[in-house]
Amino acid sequence: MRARLAGPLLLAPGLIAIVLFATALGALFRLSVLEFIPGSLRTGGVTAANFHAVLSAQYLRAIGDTALLSAATTILTLLASYPVAYALARARSGRVRSLLLGLTLAPFFTGAIVRTYAWMLVLGSSLVSWPVRLLFEPSGVLVGLVHFSMPTMILILAAALAHVDPALERAAASLGARPARVFARVTLPLSMPGVVSASLIVFAWTFSAFATPELLGGGRVKMIANVVKDLALDSFNWPGSAAFAIVALAVTLALVAGLGRLLTPRAS
Amino acid sequence: MLRRALIASIVLSAAAASATSFAGAPLVVSVWGGNWKDTIERVVAKPYTAQTGIPVEFEVGGTLDRLAKARVAKGAPLVDVTFTTSHVARLYASDGLLEKLDLAKLPASKDLAKEAFRSEHAVGGWAYVYTIAYRADQVKTPITKWADLWRPDLKGKIAMPDFDPSHIITISALLEGGNEKTWEKGQERLRQLKPSIAAFFSTDARSQDLMKTGEAPVEVMLSINAFHLREQGVPITIVEPTDKPGILGIDVATVMAGGQKTKNAYEFVNMLLSKDVQEQLAAGFKAGPTNMKAGVPAALKGQPGVFATPAEWKERGYIIDDETRATLLPKWKEWFNANIVAR
Repeated sequence: MRARLAGPLLLAPGLIAIVLFATALGALFRLSVLEFIPGSLRTGGVTAANFHAVLSAQYLRAIGDTALLSAATTILTLLASYPVAYALARARSGRVRSLLLGLTLAPFFTGAIVRTYAWMLVLGSSLVSWPVRLLFEPSGVLVGLVHFSMPTMILILAAALAHVDPALERAAASLGARPARVFARVTLPLSMPGVVSASLIVFAWTFSAFATPELLGGGRVKMIANVVKDLALDSFNWPGSAAFAIVALAVTLALVAGLGRLLTPRAS
Repeated sequence: MLRRALIASIVLSAAAASATSFAGAPLVVSVWGGNWKDTIERVVAKPYTAQTGIPVEFEVGGTLDRLAKARVAKGAPLVDVTFTTSHVARLYASDGLLEKLDLAKLPASKDLAKEAFRSEHAVGGWAYVYTIAYRADQVKTPITKWADLWRPDLKGKIAMPDFDPSHIITISALLEGGNEKTWEKGQERLRQLKPSIAAFFSTDARSQDLMKTGEAPVEVMLSINAFHLREQGVPITIVEPTDKPGILGIDVATVMAGGQKTKNAYEFVNMLLSKDVQEQLAAGFKAGPTNMKAGVPAALKGQPGVFATPAEWKERGYIIDDETRATLLPKWKEWFNANIVAR
């Protein structure tokens, strides 16, 4: 009897979460198909006009920019994080490992807004004189997003690298493989599950980034979340905002699924 | 018998406790943060509590965040009095969130400028202008009029609000012989301003940061914020434009519909509108009082956004029609994003 109840009981929290998310999504979808009445918070009848409106060039450009920034963030974060994760996983000295771990985790102890304001000072012209403008440009937003994503990427990669048996690397080296070849043929392939999962996580959450583009973009770099906020809170167009959020969610799911298939090695 | 007496005493004590707790319950006032909340607290809330014994608590947030919260709390509002901008008050009212004001319960309203009566749901608490403010240490040639924003030496130096572009859209239209209703007349002029814009801001805090750091030393700025920055030591010049007036804004006080403390909310708003409080607000905010009997400190007379007489309300500020603004803002915002904000 107990065993029979155990299954449903264990499933209950997950089911409750699914029902709550489904209800919220249902409410979002319902709002997205109601007519927007300018100058009023009331909505009109059922319409597809909101989807028609958010599929215009202006909004599609925001989706395109978001996809590009997310892809660039993922690639740069991976490149910057892999060496740190490798050092973290392979450092022989406990002190060095603790130091690296401490430095990796340090950004988590400051809020995202504080970090972003710090970047505003660094990227702006008040402290440093940059040869090209970085603040309020996509490049500045990219810097902020990479910094924001690095700790997570490092921790996932370090966990994956820790599972790569160093004996395999030593075996390759003993058979004459140079370090670069050992890395390319042994370490990297074996750490790919970590690379894939970390990349998917960073890509997906960058897709919904809000504070970093809002502050470092100075209103000139709009990602999806910024447009959703613009429509909802600046234009009071909640149905339009809901429609854009639905479109963006569909695009995100499609891209993440596509990226997952692309990056996951197939069993042959 | 004993059981009945026991039940009766429990019910009576519960009722008494609930009545006591309601009487002592605070009046909740929704307002912007920072200087806004501090001034309202000092100038209105403290004397109100001293007079009535009712404590005042604040819900602090941006104009539209607070609107969103009010909407989800419709029917059982979490606040009693809301301060907002006059055109956003129309949105509150459109969803039945505001009490239709009974002016008999606001005796101080008899002395208000007629421009302060924004709608039957909202009454103006103070006035200001959106005008040009600039860092005199970073802009060598003085800016004296709206048309100066288009000067080549200001390229890449200007910041303006993107959450509400109605000010610059209206100014562009006015400079081209139109107004907010014929705003399309100013579109081409506004497009020409695009290279001059360094950044856009969504909040008062960001607006002030941009000016403090010098990232954008010229701004289309709320006069109250500009005065606040100047008080903090930022070398800022606030312009009274000579070609077209500043865009006048009136922040309004409203009483939330369905609240538990409506009577107290009216008392609070009435205190806000009273002559003494209005004088302190004018001095605190560096804003124009809406009560025409309220005096303005001599040092503030003639400053941008500070109006001391009914004539000044007309001559020194341009009032965008609230209904036009609330209705057209989504369209303005969409056009502005596509043509000015987009890279």
